Amino acid sequence: MAQIVRAFAPKADHEKCIGCGQCETYCPEGTVMLNEDKKPVFDYRFCKGCGVCANECPVDAIEMVKEGTQ
Amino acid sequence: MNEKLFDRRYEENLLQGGTTCCPGCGGPLFWKMALQALGPRTVIYGDGPCAMCAIRNIKIPTFNLHFSFVADGATGIVNAFKAKGWDDITVVSSAGDGATGDISFGKLSAAAERNENMIQICVDNEAYMNTGIQKSGLTPYGAWTTTTPGGKESNKKDVPLIMAAHGIPYMATVSVAYPRDLQAKLGKAKEIKGFKYIHAVIPCPTGWRFDPAKAVEVSRLGVDTWVWPLYEVEEGILRMSRKPEQKPVTEYLKAQGRFRRLSDEQVEHVQTTVDERRTNLLVMEGKRITL
Amino acid sequence: MSFTRMMEGNEAAAWGAKLARAEVVPAYPITPQTELISHIATLIENGTMKAEYIKVEGEHTAMAAAVGASAAGARVFTASSSQGVCYMEEALWMPPGLRLPIVMCFVNRAIAPIGGLRPDHNDSLLQRDNGWIQLYCENSQEVLDTILMAYKIGENRNIYLPVAPCYDGYFVSATATPTTVPDQEKVDKWLPPYKHEMYSLHPDDFRRPPRGENIAKARYEVQQAHERAKKVIEDVDKDFKKVFGRGYDGFIEEYRCEDADAVLITMGSMTGTARDVIDMMQGDGKGIGLVKLRGFRPFPSEEFRKIAKKYQAVAVVDRNTSYGSAGGGIVSMELARALYPMDDRPLLLNFHVGLGGSDVTLRQIEYMADKTLQSVKKGKVTETVDWVELHDLGEVM
Repeated sequence: MAQIVRAFAPKADHEKCIGCGQCETYCPEGTVMLNEDKKPVFDYRFCKGCGVCANECPVDAIEMVKEGTQ
Repeated sequence: MNEKLFDRRYEENLLQGGTTCCPGCGGPLFWKMALQALGPRTVIYGDGPCAMCAIRNIKIPTFNLHFSFVADGATGIVNAFKAKGWDDITVVSSAGDGATGDISFGKLSAAAERNENMIQICVDNEAYMNTGIQKSGLTPYGAWTTTTPGGKESNKKDVPLIMAAHGIPYMATVSVAYPRDLQAKLGKAKEIKGFKYIHAVIPCPTGWRFDPAKAVEVSRLGVDTWVWPLYEVEEGILRMSRKPEQKPVTEYLKAQGRFRRLSDEQVEHVQTTVDERRTNLLVMEGKRITL
Repeated sequence: MSFTRMMEGNEAAAWGAKLARAEVVPAYPITPQTELISHIATLIENGTMKAEYIKVEGEHTAMAAAVGASAAGARVFTASSSQGVCYMEEALWMPPGLRLPIVMCFVNRAIAPIGGLRPDHNDSLLQRDNGWIQLYCENSQEVLDTILMAYKIGENRNIYLPVAPCYDGYFVSATATPTTVPDQEKVDKWLPPYKHEMYSLHPDDFRRPPRGENIAKARYEVQQAHERAKKVIEDVDKDFKKVFGRGYDGFIEEYRCEDADAVLITMGSMTGTARDVIDMMQGDGKGIGLVKLRGFRPFPSEEFRKIAKKYQAVAVVDRNTSYGSAGGGIVSMELARALYPMDDRPLLLNFHVGLGGSDVTLRQIEYMADKTLQSVKKGKVTETVDWVELHDLGEVM
């Protein structure tokens, strides 16, 4: 498996989130999932910080923050 | 904490997260979507495009040679399974655009002519990306690559229509920006006997020069500008999958660094080409397009 | 039911593939192999043979399909010649490296330019570095038998290497000689179905050899398989003789060498012609014998060192060209290396003949034998490499 080095990491605002699942659908690595509460959780072991999830979120509930601060 | 949840999901997805592909690469995204539609009774024969950097993360049997060996190894696998009577296994043959359009082009044609029972997929990021961005026959007009620093002089080879002209049972173009469409098409291909061809133009932030976060957005623009129209040819009959309100190509071209140097004339040329293709597709819609 | 009749090499090969129960045959026609695959097509069409014959569009595809099919669990057979072999060259490196026991007949034909459709051995000898086992056949019977042995050798779980039965185009492929086609049941008892321990692409049982970190070690393993293959080739030949009544002396056959001062070493169909010349010359009291080189890869170095002790001169007849080589033809250079460690080496002569597909005549063989015996008399070799066809030898005998 790849050794992941990230500059930025996704952070979700569960209040803003509407549970649409776009983040999960479009994550290229499958490292975004909606949990039982239909809120996004991230697998920081393998997330590359590409930012697609944040870009696709229709309500801007995901923010790309500096790695280490998520 | 969430790790067990994800580990289970990767097993279900048949694709382990954390590939060696670039951040924002459309390759693993394509496979994540495709594998959900194909299911576990599948074997993938691949070659060496970027998208196959994901191959080590794929959790079904894979076998691969080089990109000059597209569709032929898969032909062997299909016929071996036939000889053994194993007819419930889907054989997928995957190739990048370099393999598909250039070095193995003849092989695709031959496998189609033989109507080998497999799904041939082109994971098209529009250049030889894995070796550092060199031009392929499927690089679009005007695109920067290291071997076309002034922009590619020739047009993108229209492989989807060429494959459809072989009279194969099913041909479809797909995009990672439209996953339901992509998965429906793969599911359909799975059920058809004979040679099926699926062509996916997948976004490449590294080679197309844009922020990885925009990967899906750029793909969507490709479809919405009709640069990459989504359609099927089933038993020779053309069907449009989407007929979006056409956006001007400049929106697509401006979103990518590789088209930065296009002159106004060149942009016009691109728009004209796209318009012509759109018109032709709409004229051919619902009609039999193979002789 | 076993039967015997006059049969051309290509048809004998088709029967070999049929008896071996080859399951997938990806092949592309090329003169002089073409009849082989059209015979297979006929055998399949009339229900005699059950196999998937993939009518590929080119030789490069043929070998790639062979690799895929073999990894997927099917017993594979294919064949090619000359230009076709060159076209599939990059694919030919896959089976030995991946340890897939494909059997492929090389129906020898000269490689262009400067050559016709008839044989020399450059096309198969070109594979001498990539790990294919190579066995050279003299006639139709040997072709059929060698194909059966090839599967048993290659599929041996300590070997897993592809095997190339090589035979001369036209002179073997299209020349009819009496051939016995053994009984299918007998072959089935002798040759079990193909099951590779290291490979399976079935979703219920996915197996592939692990990707090693040490490249040299992985390559050395192929080398070691070749070294183990020597004994397997000999054992399979002995076993074949026991069951089917025909054997080929493993790697080397010594023909009428008991009182020979010197020997000619030949490979392929010219061996048959050479036998006649040896008979004639020994009838005249000349001490020339014949060594038939059957196995070229792995090269029987030790075996040659054992027999070379008996002769004062060995003359390699090279039906191949190696421009700019260290000295002469390919087989002679291999033999020179094999004999090098000997304290007391025989004289080594090298003759080029039959190049680019030319015929090898009785007269030419007589010339070579005479030259060899002359060097024994002189105690030295005056011409290390002799291009026989450049001489006007008078009437063809």
